[in-house]
Amino acid sequence: MIAIALVPLVVLAAMIAFIFGPGQQFLGIGTPLPEITIERVEFQEDGIIVAFIRNTGPIDVTVGQADVNDRIQQAAIEPGRELPRFAEAKVIIPFPWNEGEPYEIGVTSSDGTRFSKSIDAAAPAASPDVEQAAVFALIGTYVGIIPVLAGLLWLPFIKRLSLGKYRFFLSLTAGLLVFLGIDAIVEANEIAAVSVAGVFNGQILIVLVTILSFLALMYAASKLGEKRSKGGTSEEAHELPSYDSTHSGQAKTLDQQHHQQQQQLVVKPVAIALMISIGIGLHNFGEGLAIGASVVLGEIALSSFLIVGFMIHNTTEGFAIVSPLAKARVRRMLSKMIIMGLIAGVPTIFGTWIGGFVYSPIAAIIFLSIGAGAIFQVVFLIYRGMAQEEVDRGKIMSNASVIGGFAVGMLIMYVTGLIIPS
Amino acid sequence: MTTVKVIVAVAIVAAVLSTAFAVSGQSFVGLLATAQDAELKKNTIGGHTAGYGLYDTSGDVLDPVNSYSTASQEVVIDPDKYLRAFDYGRVSTLADGITLREFTLVADDRQVMEISPGVFYNVWTFNGTIPGPTLRATEGDLIRINFINNGSKPHSIHTHGIHKSEMDGVFETINPQGKFTYEFYAEAFGVYPYHCHVTPLEEHISHGLYGVYIVDPKSPRPQADEMVMIMNGFDTDFDTENNFYAVNTIPYYYMHHPIEIEQGKLVRVYLVNMLEFDQINNLHLHGNLYQLYRSGTNVAPDEYTDMVTMSQGERAILEFNYKYPGQYMFHAHKTEFAEKGWVGMFLVKDPAETRLDGGSGSSNSNNFPQTTTISGDVGR
Repeated sequence: MIAIALVPLVVLAAMIAFIFGPGQQFLGIGTPLPEITIERVEFQEDGIIVAFIRNTGPIDVTVGQADVNDRIQQAAIEPGRELPRFAEAKVIIPFPWNEGEPYEIGVTSSDGTRFSKSIDAAAPAASPDVEQAAVFALIGTYVGIIPVLAGLLWLPFIKRLSLGKYRFFLSLTAGLLVFLGIDAIVEANEIAAVSVAGVFNGQILIVLVTILSFLALMYAASKLGEKRSKGGTSEEAHELPSYDSTHSGQAKTLDQQHHQQQQQLVVKPVAIALMISIGIGLHNFGEGLAIGASVVLGEIALSSFLIVGFMIHNTTEGFAIVSPLAKARVRRMLSKMIIMGLIAGVPTIFGTWIGGFVYSPIAAIIFLSIGAGAIFQVVFLIYRGMAQEEVDRGKIMSNASVIGGFAVGMLIMYVTGLIIPS
Repeated sequence: MTTVKVIVAVAIVAAVLSTAFAVSGQSFVGLLATAQDAELKKNTIGGHTAGYGLYDTSGDVLDPVNSYSTASQEVVIDPDKYLRAFDYGRVSTLADGITLREFTLVADDRQVMEISPGVFYNVWTFNGTIPGPTLRATEGDLIRINFINNGSKPHSIHTHGIHKSEMDGVFETINPQGKFTYEFYAEAFGVYPYHCHVTPLEEHISHGLYGVYIVDPKSPRPQADEMVMIMNGFDTDFDTENNFYAVNTIPYYYMHHPIEIEQGKLVRVYLVNMLEFDQINNLHLHGNLYQLYRSGTNVAPDEYTDMVTMSQGERAILEFNYKYPGQYMFHAHKTEFAEKGWVGMFLVKDPAETRLDGGSGSSNSNNFPQTTTISGDVGR
């Protein structure tokens, strides 16, 4: 049985052997060109510039020389000048660089091709010491944790809303989230285009990871729901049928209907809020990566203005977390809310650490895409939940307050996003 | 089945996450490996220029400023040998008393050789080197150049100077494996370039098909320590901008192999600019002034200066002697060129000391003044 399955693989192996062996003569069409990508550049305090390079071409390369601003410099290369495919090396160039000035760092391969990377403004590299980590943690707290927790304080307000207005704000949350998801994908795409070599197919990776993340979380959410239902009371286990029968009775007061919905939503709201906070946490992790990396790469000056911008922007995220909880009766609400707020906010700090100390564009792309997938999945859950409670089932998107909320949510994000200089 | 699904989902998530961490963690792994190797092997870079940091590395050193080559057998020229080498040809006297000088120049365009430490380039050469040999004759001599094209593209030799139209190297392009004999009289003493004149001209010249041709006046110039410097460069990534600049091809060569000259003794430099792509090139001499003979076509100097600027194909004779011993730089005062290799050093020696040393032969890097130790794989 297994042997039969191996047949195509054996044929494939034989083909590969042929192409690398005798077939090389007539299949060797074109000249493979070397390619080196400078993934990041570090400016160290003692007058040393370090470029992290990777062989991203189809052939092995040997590094010949290094330069700063296209002027040849003495340099060291670790572990060595010969780079097999995908191998990484560190080029160390002693150079008395000036803070805030733009630089272009180049390496020339042995065939004379020069590869370079421009840095808008040289900034001292963040050394992974306690002091720097503390600064990053402080930034992460300001940008991630405080705004999200502040946003949670909208809960009492949402609780007092009528059902129609509540739908508006729930939909507004969806709008906020969709904006964040698109923002994450655009951000990832920018990184893929600028800092990731073509060989890694960065853009495809974004789509792939986003979809996988969406599907994985869908699956996890349904499992979560199943488990809770099984473990719950019989009333909960037959949620939908009971709802249907009530509905068909046509003799329910609004109060009764409301009570029915609360029963139905007793598990799901917490799960949805949790999913939202996880999605936002991943998003904020990506945001933290971007902030940390920007500080290190000298691409932006992390001004207090930028921090304020992120704070306003991220306060809306707290709102997104609490809005599904508003109509649910949840035990130990406060502690749950705080935990969710931390799940959403704390990753910002980890993001700044990783982004600042071990920045990797590919990791940034992957985390941003996971976040995007998670966010889209949450949006899906929100609307499915609304559709289930909707009297006129399936026509949720024709409801004015739902559409209006969605639009306003996206606009809020867009406008608060304008404050952040990109 | 549910268990299987969960395992698959977990595996997918784990794969994605581990990829991310593996990629982001690589620099950490690299640092660890470096730390372990550091004790086995250690090179120091930096310190060559004041104000530059020193760095100890366990890896390789990329140092074109202090090294000649990474694979010495494949270097396109030995600048020390080229500097003072003059090819007077195979000399015979014709019936009418005229001196005949016969030269053989073989063009090739198929070699890939080192033109700067660690950088290899498809060199197009006369007699296997860039620049080609320096041809030298006296005014009135008959020059005969047997040209063989051993390359894969058509080539020719165009010599600057006075000659018949059919000897100009423009109308006959010699195909691969073809031969041609150029014959002309050495008229008008001076310094001239010779180069291939097949189109695309820029390509044929920038790949290295050029050399220097000197015609001495009948009454010779005063005895001097004579040398040839051809200012050139290479555009190794074909963006019509030079990546490397030098005199006599190898960037920085005369920095780590300073040209030894004698204090007070007349030095004569035959300087030719064959740099492509850039509009101008120049030579600035430190600690001295030189008599400048533009094109070398006059015995009276045109200028007493430390700076001469030339366009493509221009040339001059520079004469000077040093009053004080020591090290003196010479370089393009277009500092971009200097910082891409067009910089060198004269080592002026006291004649008494020079005699003890056994004369001024080819020098070595030990003479280069160092404020700090530079080691590494310079001689590798």
